[in-house]
Amino acid sequence: MRNTDLTLHVQGASQFVDDIPTPAGCLHAALFTSPVARGRLRALHTEAAAAAPGVVAVLTHRDVPGLNQVGHVLPDQPLFAVDEVVYVGQPLALVVADSRPAALQAARLITAEIDPLEAVLDPLEAAARGLIHGQPRTLSCGDPDGAWAQCAHVAEGTIASGPQEHFYFETQRALALPGELGTIKVVASSQSPGTFHRHVAEVLGIPQHCVELEIRRLGGAFGGKESTAVWVVAPALAAFLLKRPVKLVLGRAEDLATTGKRHGYRYRYRIGVDAEGRILVYEATFHQHAGACADISLAVLGRSLLHASGSYRIPNLRVTALSCRTNIPPNNAFRGFGVPQGTFAIEVALTRIAEVMGVPATRLKRLNLLTAGDTLPYGVTLAQPTAIRCWEELDRQVDLDRRHERVAEYNRTHADTKRGLAVVPVCFGISFAQTALNQASALVNIYVDGSVAVSTGAVEMGQGVNTKIALVAARTLGIDPARVRVDTTDTTRVPNASPTSASTGADLNGMATLRACATLVSRLQEFAARHLGRPGVGPGDISIRDGVVHVHGEPTELRWEKLVAAAQWARIDLSSHDFYATPDVYHDQTVERGRPFAYYSYGTSVTEVLLDCVRGTYAVEAVDLVHDAGRPLSETIDRGQIEGGLLQGIGWATLEQLRTGPDGRLRTTVNSYKIPDIKFGPAHVGITLLANSDNPYAVCNSKAIGEPPFIHGIGAYLALLDALRAVRQDRPFPSLPLTPERVLMALHGPAEDESTSQGR
Amino acid sequence: MLSFLLNQRRVDCLQPPGSVLLDFVREVAGLPGTKEACREGECGACTVLVGRPGRDGSIEYRACASCLLPVGDVEGCHVVTVEGLAQAGLTLVQRLIVEHSASQCGFCTPGIVLSLTGFCLTSPDFAEADALDALDGNLCRCTGYVPIRRAAHALCEALAPLDHDPATRVATLVQAGVLPEYFLSIPERIAGLEVPTDEAGEGAVLVAGGTDLFVQRPEELERTALRFLSRRRDLATLRVDEETLRVGGGVTLEDFRTSPEVRAHFPSLTTDLLLHSSAILRNRATLAGNLVNASPIGDASILLLALDARLVLVARDGGRREVPVDRFFKGYKQIDLACGELIAEILIPRLPPGTTLHFEKVSNRTILDIAAVNSALRLTRDEAGRIVDLRLSAGGVAPVPLLLGGLEGFIGRPADRATFAELARVVAAAVQPIDDVRGSAAYKRLLLHQLVIAHGRAVTGEVGR
Repeated sequence: MRNTDLTLHVQGASQFVDDIPTPAGCLHAALFTSPVARGRLRALHTEAAAAAPGVVAVLTHRDVPGLNQVGHVLPDQPLFAVDEVVYVGQPLALVVADSRPAALQAARLITAEIDPLEAVLDPLEAAARGLIHGQPRTLSCGDPDGAWAQCAHVAEGTIASGPQEHFYFETQRALALPGELGTIKVVASSQSPGTFHRHVAEVLGIPQHCVELEIRRLGGAFGGKESTAVWVVAPALAAFLLKRPVKLVLGRAEDLATTGKRHGYRYRYRIGVDAEGRILVYEATFHQHAGACADISLAVLGRSLLHASGSYRIPNLRVTALSCRTNIPPNNAFRGFGVPQGTFAIEVALTRIAEVMGVPATRLKRLNLLTAGDTLPYGVTLAQPTAIRCWEELDRQVDLDRRHERVAEYNRTHADTKRGLAVVPVCFGISFAQTALNQASALVNIYVDGSVAVSTGAVEMGQGVNTKIALVAARTLGIDPARVRVDTTDTTRVPNASPTSASTGADLNGMATLRACATLVSRLQEFAARHLGRPGVGPGDISIRDGVVHVHGEPTELRWEKLVAAAQWARIDLSSHDFYATPDVYHDQTVERGRPFAYYSYGTSVTEVLLDCVRGTYAVEAVDLVHDAGRPLSETIDRGQIEGGLLQGIGWATLEQLRTGPDGRLRTTVNSYKIPDIKFGPAHVGITLLANSDNPYAVCNSKAIGEPPFIHGIGAYLALLDALRAVRQDRPFPSLPLTPERVLMALHGPAEDESTSQGR
Repeated sequence: MLSFLLNQRRVDCLQPPGSVLLDFVREVAGLPGTKEACREGECGACTVLVGRPGRDGSIEYRACASCLLPVGDVEGCHVVTVEGLAQAGLTLVQRLIVEHSASQCGFCTPGIVLSLTGFCLTSPDFAEADALDALDGNLCRCTGYVPIRRAAHALCEALAPLDHDPATRVATLVQAGVLPEYFLSIPERIAGLEVPTDEAGEGAVLVAGGTDLFVQRPEELERTALRFLSRRRDLATLRVDEETLRVGGGVTLEDFRTSPEVRAHFPSLTTDLLLHSSAILRNRATLAGNLVNASPIGDASILLLALDARLVLVARDGGRREVPVDRFFKGYKQIDLACGELIAEILIPRLPPGTTLHFEKVSNRTILDIAAVNSALRLTRDEAGRIVDLRLSAGGVAPVPLLLGGLEGFIGRPADRATFAELARVVAAAVQPIDDVRGSAAYKRLLLHQLVIAHGRAVTGEVGR
């Protein structure tokens, strides 16, 4: 089944926040943000802005009736700066006017008196000065110190991966509508109904039951609307104080310059293997470039740590991770949530040790691939990993050895162009690593006409979660999915919802929906048994299929619509709320041991590139992959997630580059930040969903699919590296992303050019 | 009063001519299907079709970025938004996007629908390559484009059996369910609108495509008197004589690129100019505008420098003068153009026998990205393969688009690998690029060196091995 929103999308009829007809008297807000990366805020002059045409109010921290705080995990992020600024783009004031242009123009009249202080923009420098969020974390297993002596080969190095802008099409925005008796409703583009609901109430200083947060759909999010509540809370504050509707919509330039990104990382690694290439020991340090506030960075870092061993069996390991506090906008969640970074480091280390040994990296990867009985560094022993099944299915389809031979043959006979090939296995833990978040609830209402409405905490952002939930409901109730409508995500119907992230939206909310529907089915079975009045027929003999009541598997005359109408008249409750909490997940950070994930998503891909050694340009030509999606609720949707995640990963590995100036200001603008376009994507993308894969840990045997395919994008980096190494092996590996600039400098630039190897 | 057709409706409005169409359709006309996602022509979410009456009264439709399109410039035109497509049921394009699940979050989708519909209207033979060219300015962050390409492929297959005659294209597409029926009555209704005139007072800002102007200073232009060159039919001409291709100052890059004259006499430009920008911008931006923009890295400037083009400049009082393009650029963003003067014509000498034109450009992303370095070479060789004449230009390595001088020493030398290697060394040593967001100075110098090598590989037929 396809995403049910498609028909609306092609007609431009799907309603996003800014498409809701503007309410009468609506005001428009614009933020004034810090022009300085770090400094003491001595004074803020808002008088001229307040007097500008059309301006109704200028709000600062002084106007906040409740808590001037929107920190996601740690209370370190004021809604409006009070006496210090810590990054360019930090909100200082909100101008509210009768039109958006008036608000934007007036915001330019505000001036801030700031005594500049030295800003730290380099994560290693921040770490050296002790500027970190939280505490460093170290995951270790085995005897990493003792294992080096047994190694036949050792390789080490440093490398970096760059930041990535989400580039969700719909920028950050919300519309706030004041209600009676000091209540407020906010319609927002947000992935975190529960947390943002709490932030609005806290900032306004009112109980949460006075705040309603409603979300219809997002024009993309990818993690970028999960943790930073500023753009939802700020218009709510204005609407609450001014008792008028207020809308805040960020322009693209403003969104790009002031919102968080995927974290850049710096890595130091050392890997040792035995004579055959079995990994004996891996040590690494991850420096995460977090930015000025902790935001969600520590959770991202934790996931990098938990995925430091990638898809491989590593008996002795020690990885230390630090979240570096620098003066850039706080970075946040982005599809993969630290897993791409953790995986990148081990993939690079394995590639390097293979080069040292003079063997193909693919052979080492296969040799060390996770199999049944292997134990991950944090203590989980894998029962039935499908890593090898995915690998072997891919190998069967494309013949990896043959593909390598063909590339080697091409490279022997070509000097101006080279081919590169890389195989990337994926092992991605599914569940929030923060155990408490693994919960969801659903409210299912059956109306007397037989139509069904489902509300959950899941947020639709194009990933098709609503369609999956509708399918679960329809399947469980035994009716046509067209009878089910998934309603908006609304805190008055589903409270305290976890964010829709960590690829768990369908798993958690689907399971809650299934339970709520199962309760309704059992009520209806009981009622139908009485209603039919057939002797000897009990509730257990009744089923509902294709909208018809069946007895002992045989259809009756009783249709769904009649059944529910009769049940309602007989005073049967046709509404059910239910709850799901993922069982048996836990993690103890003090010892870095636990079972943080319910299950794992596996896959293997092979990526082939063609490198133009004269120009430094390249084409990612082909990707073939096998991914384990369990038994998909919708194969179409899952394939779409793989295709989309893959290209986002390729973009991160190649084109997508952000540059920050020495003043802490982002120099990259919308015309210099390039995401893949239709001609950049691989001409060939071959996707196979692993056959006969069951998954008892998620709803209807499905598997999470949102994030794991992103990891396959690392193949673009590694395949380009493979092509580069066919030209020369006398230099350190260049960092990610491999932009044409970095590639050309790696091929022909001066050896000492450090600017090409440092990801910024 | 400003009048045009918006979908099926006639619109008469008093908007400032310099306010952009995107805001008009969303805020004034209440049609939220057209999305704003960048406001710089970078993403395509705001794509609409603009149908402009041609000389014969038929309507020529082009997909354009409405965020950079002044309302004044659609006076007397037919503007089509996504709301103007689906009537009873979905159009063919919409249906195929649904069937192939070529949309996820849906924010870019209306723009993609319009660009593909524009392709149906303009492609000579419904070739799949044209469909991809038509979509090269429509970004999508969700799908990875795989299903979009599948939908485009299915569209081309569905269109292939249709009549290709451009004269009856609208009727053919109405019949095929690509366009709603009301399109048939548009020419008649357009003829009933006031014909916009080219009148504006002193100090009016000249607007050609506006695709850079409306990125740079949209707020100012909203309050300024504007003069739209698209109304000057005399500037929309393109003809070729014995010696020269004469391009009117109002000819868009897309019309130039796909014209029979360019295909016949400068065939490589047809593909080179795909690198200039995206379809929705090429449909607006003009060759002359790219020169006036004076970017040190403008692709058209670099090409026209190597081609030894001359510019015919016409002043407000009708005075004409000719300037060789290499003397047009005076300094960073400074050009030899007086207030009120405009480029009426660009004169491009046809290539003499034995002459090759070759263009190189490297940008971070290949399409719709500003070059780190670009370069064009016009090379004439004698029958023995010796260099008779060469003109080499480069962008991104100086404050102006640069014609590289001092290369007389290469005349008479064989056009071979060794000569190009030395040319590359000489040229790279002669330039002074700067560090910026397009790349480091060291990179740009190296890249220019490499692009000269690439020129050599291309013109000597040594395809990269």
